Amino acid sequence: MNLTAPQDLLLVMLGITVLAPLAAAGWMASGLSNRSPRTGAVVAMSLSLLASLAVAWQWHNGHGVPVEFGDRMGGGAFIDIDGVTAVLLPYMALVGLGIVIVAPKRFLDAPATARTLAGVGATLALFSTAHPLVLVALSIVTVLPTWWSVRSTPGGSPTARILALAMVPALVCLTAGTLLMLCDPPWEKDCGMVGATGGWLVAAAVLLRKGIIPVHSWYPALFCAAPMSTSLVATMPQVASYLAVRLLIGHADHGQGVAVELIVLSQLALVTAVYGAALALVQRELRGLIGMLAMSQSALVLAGLSGKLPMELSGAFCVWISSGLALTGIGLVAWALESRAGPLSLETHQGRFRDSPMLAAFFLLFGLACIGLPGTLSFVADDLIVSGSLDEQLYAGLLVIAATVLSGIAVMRAWFMIFGGPEAVDGPRHQILPRERLALTVLLATLFVLGINPAPLVRVLDRAAGHLLGVPVQADGHGPAEPPAHP
Amino acid sequence: MNLLDVTTLGQSALELPTTHDAVSLLVITQLAAPAATLVAIGVPAVLGRPLSERLTTWLVGAGFSIGLLAGLATLCVLSLRGFAPEAVHLGTWFSVGHHEATIDLVADGLSVPYVCFSTGLCALVNAFAGKYLHREPGFTRFFLLLALFGTGMNLMVLAGSIDVLFAGWEFLGISSTLLIGFFHDRTNAAKAAVRAFITYRICDVGLLTAGVMVHRAVGSGDFERLFSGAWPNGHCLVPATTATVISLLLVFAAMGKSAQVPFSNWLPMAMEGPTPSSAIFYGALSIHAGAYVLLRCESLLEAAPVARLLLVLIGVGTALHAAAVGRVQTDLKSMLAYASMTQAGIIFAEIGLGLRVVALVHIVSHAILRSLQILRSPSALHDRHELEAALGGHPGGGKSWLRDNLPPAAQAWLYRVSLERGFEEMAVMRLIVGPIWRLLQRIATAEQAWTVWLGGEKPALRVGGPPMFGRRIRSRAQSGGEE
Repeated sequence: MNLTAPQDLLLVMLGITVLAPLAAAGWMASGLSNRSPRTGAVVAMSLSLLASLAVAWQWHNGHGVPVEFGDRMGGGAFIDIDGVTAVLLPYMALVGLGIVIVAPKRFLDAPATARTLAGVGATLALFSTAHPLVLVALSIVTVLPTWWSVRSTPGGSPTARILALAMVPALVCLTAGTLLMLCDPPWEKDCGMVGATGGWLVAAAVLLRKGIIPVHSWYPALFCAAPMSTSLVATMPQVASYLAVRLLIGHADHGQGVAVELIVLSQLALVTAVYGAALALVQRELRGLIGMLAMSQSALVLAGLSGKLPMELSGAFCVWISSGLALTGIGLVAWALESRAGPLSLETHQGRFRDSPMLAAFFLLFGLACIGLPGTLSFVADDLIVSGSLDEQLYAGLLVIAATVLSGIAVMRAWFMIFGGPEAVDGPRHQILPRERLALTVLLATLFVLGINPAPLVRVLDRAAGHLLGVPVQADGHGPAEPPAHP
Repeated sequence: MNLLDVTTLGQSALELPTTHDAVSLLVITQLAAPAATLVAIGVPAVLGRPLSERLTTWLVGAGFSIGLLAGLATLCVLSLRGFAPEAVHLGTWFSVGHHEATIDLVADGLSVPYVCFSTGLCALVNAFAGKYLHREPGFTRFFLLLALFGTGMNLMVLAGSIDVLFAGWEFLGISSTLLIGFFHDRTNAAKAAVRAFITYRICDVGLLTAGVMVHRAVGSGDFERLFSGAWPNGHCLVPATTATVISLLLVFAAMGKSAQVPFSNWLPMAMEGPTPSSAIFYGALSIHAGAYVLLRCESLLEAAPVARLLLVLIGVGTALHAAAVGRVQTDLKSMLAYASMTQAGIIFAEIGLGLRVVALVHIVSHAILRSLQILRSPSALHDRHELEAALGGHPGGGKSWLRDNLPPAAQAWLYRVSLERGFEEMAVMRLIVGPIWRLLQRIATAEQAWTVWLGGEKPALRVGGPPMFGRRIRSRAQSGGEE
């Protein structure tokens, strides 16, 4: 395999992106380090973030053409960098960096940090490949740190059991389905029952892994019982969405369009989006609310992925990034608040505003960034996904709107329950720490910058969506030339 | 008179783009000035270095004043050109396939006078609040939200497309909610803010869906493709059915923001906010935002008689309801809130009857009067107490037509109904909110029981209670302190 110099650089950067957190995880797990785990973790994740940005930049300089390395098997190559990968790598590295910076000290011992970094590293590796077997292997690897972390948490056994009940069948279905799809590829004209069965098994795996109704119970349970870092690393990357993108999109019409399995999944996802947002309203603890919101937003992504229009797919990718960053922010603020005041109930007004006004401001801004405040990326995402859904089916669009409205009410209610009411603390104030302020500001700035100037991101995602759906790309390389269908 | 009329043909060809550029620049200034103050105050506050009270007030005042001057200059230019609409295209925000989100503004006979009026009012309230909120802990927060409101208001008023209008509308909703809950240590303020936000959010569905319908109907959100001609004599460019659907959705959206029955009970609760924000939001600008949107889309309403009839019914119903309820209120701010609601109802009816210019004049005059009354209310109460102390009792009330002409039984019935606010809140809570809330709580309880069972433990049923394993984590977190 002859590689050009830019491709060499791309590979090196990709290697650093993936290996930096994995190496740091190994170093911490070995017990050789006697320094604070945070220092090593921050250095590794910063390196990973910079390298991932270099990968995105290098890929963009190559005119945004998908780059493949290694043997191609089934649907994709061993290393596959397209618009989705170029966006997801920096996104995941940023989420990981935010987590290790904000994590309270008592949750950041060496084993816990190693598990967090291993989870992030494995996810980054997964985002770099489209090879079906490697995807299966890395999917298994990404589950292990989560399960291990929940299991190690005092009182976490029931949640570990619930997680296992969802993840083991998911991984079995994924493995069997992928093997069947490789034996009888659905993207070829003479596909038979074996390939179709494989597709349905992969769909079942996505259903389980994504926490879609009726197999969603592990999702809020994880947020209630696991450390926030574990919950965020397990759910924010949306590994199941990535599996759906790589294994299910582009299979219908022999490689042109969306698999029927994904369309069925999307109907359940729409119901989940509304259900999660509605239940978020009546949660009595902040963690439960975050779990339900995350479930709802994650389901919205899957609902958008089944779209036949690149606009809908682009909207789904935008929701993926915007909700991920915003919910990471909310989760980190909640974690910082919990480390100061214990768990936060939503049953009565907690009066936490005076105690930590900056955390209140960040919670509010991340909350608004999650529910479609104009000027944030979620406004663009909501616009795309609502317009795309309504273009296809009226009821789908109305369900998306309902989910968005309910999420908004849930977030605002939670803010007033936590920070409103008579002052709860009559003692020294818990000011925000500089490292917390730094991480939260960077996350927030990303959401606002991408929201105020969304065109470059949307163009990249639109192009990736067009490529996945097999829609011809314009001569200038800016997105699909024509929508495939318009009612 | 058109400015170009007095020039030669050759000069007019040169001047046309220049005038357009000047108007564009002025319109952008109206929008950018309050937005710049938002950034100027917000960034230091987020970085933990809030500006001084004096500088904050000065900056916000300067932003609104610059916006007002730019608005007046635009008004002069437009009046010289016979108020011909001037479209300002700021570019494409983003585009995907056939979906294009453009940033379009419009300067015409409706938007520019309205922006002058709203910016001027914001500047006055800013000057009042600088003294009124002196040494208030949330001083910077108030002015930040006022700047956000001003930006949102100008964005909504100057919007040339439904996308831009929706963005401004959302800013209004957020700033309004946060100002109602400004005194966060009061439980009632927090509850009132949530109530207002829920109403806004539910009614936003109307505007959001209307926006998507507009995109579906004409391929973009531009008002130019929906209706043509100068306000108030525009012509609808879409079929009557489409116009009716979009109009009904807009009416639904407007009902929430303008506190029309049955979405009205948040308004008296909203008076929990500071007096200056109550004046600008619920006496002047926010309460009329719905009416403004209807005026902006008056050409659509013209083609939708069903929507107009509905508008008249809602407006008259709200006006009667608020007039009756307002008469039995025992606190000044609630009385003023119901008085605002009454006028907003009448304005809705005027719009429904096609009296557009009357409605616009009514909005402006009512806003000025009501904001003055609300700003004056704290000192008016003080004066009243002094008067009562001097007289040694109540100074006595005036005559009442109702008291003189209605039979006692009817008076008692009307009093009871008014005291219960027309049973509106009770009906909404008992028939809609309550059942939905209870259903959701039961589902949540069943969810938790199921989750606990999956975790291998015996379910401990408690309505809406947290799962058992959640409690263990709680106790662990409570045992530890910060690092």
